[in-house]
Amino acid sequence: MFADAVRTSAGVESAFQLADYYPIFLFLGLLVAFVLGTLFSSQLFHRLGLKPFSATAVKLMPYESGMDPIGSARMQFDVKFYLIAILFLVFDVELLFLYPWAVVAYSDAASPAWHENFGRLVFWEVLVFLVSLAVGYVYAWRKGVFEWR
Amino acid sequence: MTDFDFTYAVILMVVVFAAIMGSVAYLTFAERKISAWVQDRIGPNRVGPWGLLQVAADGLKFFFKEDIIPKHVDRVFYFLAPGIGVATALLAFSIVPFGPSTPAPGPVGVTAEKPLDAAIAQHEADVKSYHEHTIFALAPGLDIGILFAFAIGSLVVYGIILGGWSSNSKYSLLGSLRSSAQIISYEIPLGMSVLGVFLFAGSVNLEKILDYQIHHGWFILYQPLGFLLFIVSVYAECNRLPFDLPEAEQELVGGFHTEYGSMKLGLLLMVDYIHMITTSFFMAIIFFGGWHFPGLSNIDGIGGMVVKFLILGAKVFFFLMLYMIVRWTIPRFKFDQLMALAWQVMIPLAMVNLVSVMIVKEYQLTPWILTVTSIVTFLAAAVISTREKLTVIQRPVNAAHSA
Repeated sequence: MFADAVRTSAGVESAFQLADYYPIFLFLGLLVAFVLGTLFSSQLFHRLGLKPFSATAVKLMPYESGMDPIGSARMQFDVKFYLIAILFLVFDVELLFLYPWAVVAYSDAASPAWHENFGRLVFWEVLVFLVSLAVGYVYAWRKGVFEWR
Repeated sequence: MTDFDFTYAVILMVVVFAAIMGSVAYLTFAERKISAWVQDRIGPNRVGPWGLLQVAADGLKFFFKEDIIPKHVDRVFYFLAPGIGVATALLAFSIVPFGPSTPAPGPVGVTAEKPLDAAIAQHEADVKSYHEHTIFALAPGLDIGILFAFAIGSLVVYGIILGGWSSNSKYSLLGSLRSSAQIISYEIPLGMSVLGVFLFAGSVNLEKILDYQIHHGWFILYQPLGFLLFIVSVYAECNRLPFDLPEAEQELVGGFHTEYGSMKLGLLLMVDYIHMITTSFFMAIIFFGGWHFPGLSNIDGIGGMVVKFLILGAKVFFFLMLYMIVRWTIPRFKFDQLMALAWQVMIPLAMVNLVSVMIVKEYQLTPWILTVTSIVTFLAAAVISTREKLTVIQRPVNAAHSA
C-alpha cells in the first residue's frame, strides 16, 4: 500500500515513486482534453453554420493597419535577442547548480556528520562559484550586452 | 509516498479546474470593474444584476464569433499555440497546496535508541498520518515542488512564440520576440529570488516552506528584498501592465495574438489570468505564510479548516487585487528599460541577497540581519540607479533604438 522506504545517510525516508506523479499526468490528460475540446467545438460550431463566416481576400491578409502587407513577416531581427538567449542559458544552468545546493546545504534532512565534514568547504566552493559567475557577468556588462540602443 | 486514490484525484481535479476557470472568468470581470472605477466610469452593468452575468455573455461570444483563419498562417502551430499556453499554465497549478496542509514526512534518523525496524515503523506511521491530513493539493508531497511549477510555467513561452511566429504577421512576430526575451530574462531573477527561502526551509516543497514559516515567522520578515524581486519577476512573467510590452496595444496592435480570433483568442487571453492566480498563491504561500495567521491557526476540526481556507483565500485575493491596482498605477516600461531592470538591477540584487543569506546561515547569525541587509541593498541600488539615469539623460540622443 505504501511506497518502499530507503535508508539514506539521514535515516529512513520514502523512495522515489512514479505514483507521486500520477495526478499530474491525469491533470495533463484533463487539460489536453479541455483544450482540444474547446478548439474542436469552436470549429464544429463553424462547420454547423452557427457562426457568421464571410471570408474575403482582404480579411484573410496579415493585419498591417489596413495597408497591403509589405514583404514577408519572416524578417531579420536584432542579434541582441540571440545574445540574451545565450546569456539566459548561462544563468539558467547556474541556477540548476544552485538549486540542489540550496535545498541540501542547511537542511535538517541532511545528516549532522555531513555538515561537520563538508559544510564549510561547500560554503566556500559555492562562493567561488558565484564569484566566477560574477566575473562573467561583469564581462558581459562591459561588452555592452545589456545595452539596448 | 503516495497512496493513490483514483476517484478522489479525479473529483479534486475537476473541482479545481472548474474553480480556476470560474475565477479566471470573474477576474476579467473584476479587472473591467476596477478599471472603470479607477477611470471614473461605471463598467459593465447591463447583463444580469450589477453586470455579474457579463462573463457568461463574454464566454458565449467567444464561441460564436467568426472564426477567421488567415490564409498565410502555419496551420498546425497556429492551432497548437493557444493550447500549449493554457495547458502549461494550468498544469503549473497542480503542485499548489490550496488549502490547509501538513508538511510531508522527512527522513527518520536511525540511532542507538531507535533501531532500523523502529525507524521504518515510525516512517510508515508518518506517511499514513500525512495522507490522512493532506487532501487539498492535486499532487501532494512532491519533492520537486515549486521547481516543477517554474519549469512548466515557463513553457508558456512556447505558446507565445509559436503563436507569434505561425501567425506570419509582423506585429505578431515582434510581439512574440519581445515576449520571449522578456520571459526568459525575468526567469533568472525569479529563480534566484527564492533561493534564500530554500536555504532557510531546506526544501522546495511548498508545504514544507509553509511549515517552516509557522515555526520561524513569515519569510517576508527575513526576505523583503527576495519578495520584491519575486513580485516584479512574476508580474513580468504574467505580462501584466508595467511589463505588458508583448501586447502593447499602441505599438503592436495585439502583439502575438493579433491574428487570432474567436475561442483561440479566448484561450490565449486566459493564460495571463491563470498565471496570476498561480503566482498569487505562490506569493501568499512562500512569503506570507499561506493559511497561517498568528492566533487563528490553532483551531481544530471543520471550523479550523474553514478559517484556514478563508485566511489563504484572503491573502490570494489581496495579491490578485494588487495586480489590478498596479495596472493603473505604473506606466509601461520601454523595452531597453525592461531589459536593463532584469539584467542590470534585479540579477545583482538577487545575488547579493543570496550571498547574505548564505553568510547568515553558515555563521548561524540571527535572520533579522537579513531584514537590514535587504533594506540597505535596496536603498543602495536605488541610489546607484538614479545616479546612472542622470548620466543617461545627459547623453545626446542620436542612435535609433533597436527592436
